[in-house]
Amino acid sequence: MATNVKSSTPANNVGHADRHWLLQSVGLTAVVIVLAVIFTIINPRFATLANLANVMTQASHYIIIAVAMTFVITSAGIDLSVGSVLALVTVIGFAFIKSGMNPALAVAIMFALGAVIGAFTGTLIALVKIPPFIATLGMMVSLRGLALLHSAGTMHFGLPETLTWLGQGKVFGVPVPVIIAMTVAVVGAWLFNHTKFGLYVRAIGGNREAARLAGVPVNLIEILVYSLMGLVTAIGGLVMIARIDSTQATIGTSIEIHIIAAVIIGGTSLFGGRGTIYGTVLGAVLLSMMTNALVIAGVDNFWQLVIMGIVVLLAVAINNLRENRIPVFSSLMRRSR
Amino acid sequence: MSSDLEGVREVLRVAELTKNYGGLKAMDSISFAVNRGEVMALVGDNGAGKSTLVKALSGAQPPDSGQILINGQPIELRSPRDADDAGIGCIHQSLGLVDALNVPENVFLGRELQRKRFGFLPELDHASMRAKTVELLERFGVNVSSLNKPVVKLSGGQRQSIAISRLLLQDVSLVIMDEPMAALGVDEGQRVMDLVSTMRDEGISIFIISHNLEHVFQIADRIAVLKNGRLVDVVETATTSRDAVIKMITFGSAN
Ligand SMILES: Nc1ncnc2c1ncn2[C@@H]1O[C@H](COP(=O)(O)OP(=O)(O)OP(=O)(O)O)[C@@H](O)[C@H]1O
Ligand SMILES: [Mg+2]
Repeated sequence: MATNVKSSTPANNVGHADRHWLLQSVGLTAVVIVLAVIFTIINPRFATLANLANVMTQASHYIIIAVAMTFVITSAGIDLSVGSVLALVTVIGFAFIKSGMNPALAVAIMFALGAVIGAFTGTLIALVKIPPFIATLGMMVSLRGLALLHSAGTMHFGLPETLTWLGQGKVFGVPVPVIIAMTVAVVGAWLFNHTKFGLYVRAIGGNREAARLAGVPVNLIEILVYSLMGLVTAIGGLVMIARIDSTQATIGTSIEIHIIAAVIIGGTSLFGGRGTIYGTVLGAVLLSMMTNALVIAGVDNFWQLVIMGIVVLLAVAINNLRENRIPVFSSLMRRSR
Repeated sequence: MSSDLEGVREVLRVAELTKNYGGLKAMDSISFAVNRGEVMALVGDNGAGKSTLVKALSGAQPPDSGQILINGQPIELRSPRDADDAGIGCIHQSLGLVDALNVPENVFLGRELQRKRFGFLPELDHASMRAKTVELLERFGVNVSSLNKPVVKLSGGQRQSIAISRLLLQDVSLVIMDEPMAALGVDEGQRVMDLVSTMRDEGISIFIISHNLEHVFQIADRIAVLKNGRLVDVVETATTSRDAVIKMITFGSAN
């Protein structure tokens, strides 16, 4: 019998990558560049080096948190509680620091708290079988309540310089938050494409039962995914409060929509199984560019919210279209071929 | 396989396996044995309890009561890992592939090859898994146009071959297949049959479920018939007619 097993180029051996996915990343990169050119033509101020550094700095905590959200969404989950986790973790951390605790210890506590909260959410989903949407919705409300109980009406500010450096410092002219975000992205991409953990996350999102039958510890992986989400949200929160040198109980409200949008625009499937960290980073940069351009153009804050919501819905619609999930469109597409 | 087990004639024995779904007895005190190196077929109507039995033997869904012995040793199969460790390989009716993963990722899921990055960080060894997958598929003479494609884009026969390739990575003494020829073309079905023969020749015992009696009579040494969760009988293929088996499937007895 004839064998015809094509071995493709070694460069192509990224875990999940096939040509479709590669093309999509190239496409998204092109969109980012074209948008940048358009924004610059409309308002030359956009292209100044200072503004671009500003855009990237503002994008950094979104990039960080969205990298973890890519794992969650690829596992066929969702996490609506990231904004509340960010608020609770930062107000508690900030209060510890202001009370004279060693900043390093306070940061360690923030990270641990984020991971523990995430593990709890993951347990609700994996073992108590509460659907991710509902479980994280409940956590979103409860944790926001806890943050408010802890410091309603209080604006914390005045971090030690060692910490503000994380948000405001520069190394060889590159903002530190951008360096942290890129590090998180590179480590995230490695985890996603080159480790057992990443493979299991994709397997669970693709077909939970098949993964279980293959011997994947599905519940453990799911709990770990949400723990990672909590931990990384704390990292993103630290970078955010270091940059603005303040926090309060309402910080991060509706940040989840921004994060989820970045992941979906990046090309990660809302239905689970397939995702891309590179796309997520581009998605986050794209959103920040858009927000920045709207601000420079003087668009009203409330209109920005309206536009952000529409962008999210559009991104999901395009995602569905791409995966032939909309019957009307897929039959139209078939006919037009 | 270790040589001290060669003396044990029965690779698998089940005793009084029972499973209830609510009020429904999907398995009702089922007892039989599979001998070393034999191909045993399991037949029965839709809903007879065949897949329920397979799930009990693969650790996917433990029975309510009853005993399972592997190579004469009682064993508890609480998870697919347990079955794996006991040398039982299983292909489920739904194939158990993850559509979104590519070919090597599916073949190696649950038993990945790893290497150390920087000498200490464990990471997937994509290159070795690819190479090994190519080798396995070539052994079957299987056409898979691209290993990088998610397997959702492959044909039924190709998917079946991938599911079977998974088994060959494992040190199996018993392979269980739940309707491996269903939804396959004539050629592809025959290729799976050839594969079953090859595995038998390598000394692997096979427990195969099929609705296709032609296949069953071609490949099996013995046939177990299930009806409404009960074992009707186990018969020798050589001394039984196809009509008798059909009667057992439909009426629960040969006469
Ligand atoms: N998870 C479940 N919950 C409730 N009832 C079930 C479940 N799985 C199977 N059953 C029932 O148990 C009985 C046996 O099912 P099983 O899947 O073992 O049949 P089968 O012999 O494999 O049938 P087929 O030839 O159609 O694959 C059926 O009546 C089925 O409806
Ligand atoms: Mg069945």
